[in-house]
Amino acid sequence: MSILAPEGAATAAADWRVLLVGLGGLGCPAALALVRAGIGVLRLCDDDQVDEGNLHRQILYGPDDVGADKLSAAERALGPLARRSGTRIELVRSRFLPENARELARGVDLVIEGADNFATKFLTADACHLEARPVVHGAGLRWVGTAWSVAAAGRPCYRCLFEDVPSEPQANCDSAGVMGPVVGIVGALMAELCLRSLSTSGRRSELWTLDGKTDTLRPVPVSARSDCPLCGSHPSIREIEEARYLTEAGAPA
Amino acid sequence: MAVTVRIPTPLRSLTKGQEQVSAEGGTVRAVIESLEQKHPGMKERLLDEKGIRRFVNVYLGDEDVRFLEGLDTPLQAGAELSIIPAIAGG
Repeated sequence: MSILAPEGAATAAADWRVLLVGLGGLGCPAALALVRAGIGVLRLCDDDQVDEGNLHRQILYGPDDVGADKLSAAERALGPLARRSGTRIELVRSRFLPENARELARGVDLVIEGADNFATKFLTADACHLEARPVVHGAGLRWVGTAWSVAAAGRPCYRCLFEDVPSEPQANCDSAGVMGPVVGIVGALMAELCLRSLSTSGRRSELWTLDGKTDTLRPVPVSARSDCPLCGSHPSIREIEEARYLTEAGAPA
Repeated sequence: MAVTVRIPTPLRSLTKGQEQVSAEGGTVRAVIESLEQKHPGMKERLLDEKGIRRFVNVYLGDEDVRFLEGLDTPLQAGAELSIIPAIAGG
């Protein structure tokens, strides 16, 4: 095996366990990059099936996978690469839910979140903070994408910037669409932030924002809020309570 | 006084696709009123009854205005405001 990675990063990567929440347009390229980097364990968490409408951006799947569950299709696509790089692929056949979130976060060294809904994004942020695990958040919609790395129990956190699950329905990829290359770039950036987060520390917090219409990638500095309910000086979120992640319709998103 | 406002893609439907617009005002609040005049609908997307919507962040240069003086943050001529909304999707 030969991986051209700087300063022993490839060797170190073999010791890392990473949980990937959501195997969509962001999760697929991130998984490819991490397996090729020789990450030790890549745990995949999703319960969705491959849909025809996924194929323009979810690059682990092909036409023959339509209707199959994403985990099995991803395992088929990643398997040969994983055997070569020594990565163990593990499948979590479930959504990332209030009842399993903390245990799943606890079992790894870092979590990558590329979920397609806000409830899962906030749940991942909360579970990772409570379990002191670093997390890389990603999002993509239409022509814009964002990626953000939060250190273990770090400040600022996702709630410093976006506060709480929205009470009104929000646009997602199914309703608004997304450009495949936008999530491709952001997914690769998430993998890079993951490798960097695991091998360095002490960087300032920046929300990377990609504008696909102008091909600009801007780092937006993020500040910690002293009254943040998750990482502030008097946090009100000390455990995972399911009611916090319900959408307006009353069902987990 | 004129300032520049960077418009994120979800709001460009209100600015005829422009990624950057100019607006007038000596505070963030005044600039949002100015944006509403030129691009109706903008104010509702940015503010609710409590102020700047939870899901929207307004930056003056590199600073989130929540950490400055919020809607009352004073602006110099030529200042650059950026609107950063939360997005899901993946």
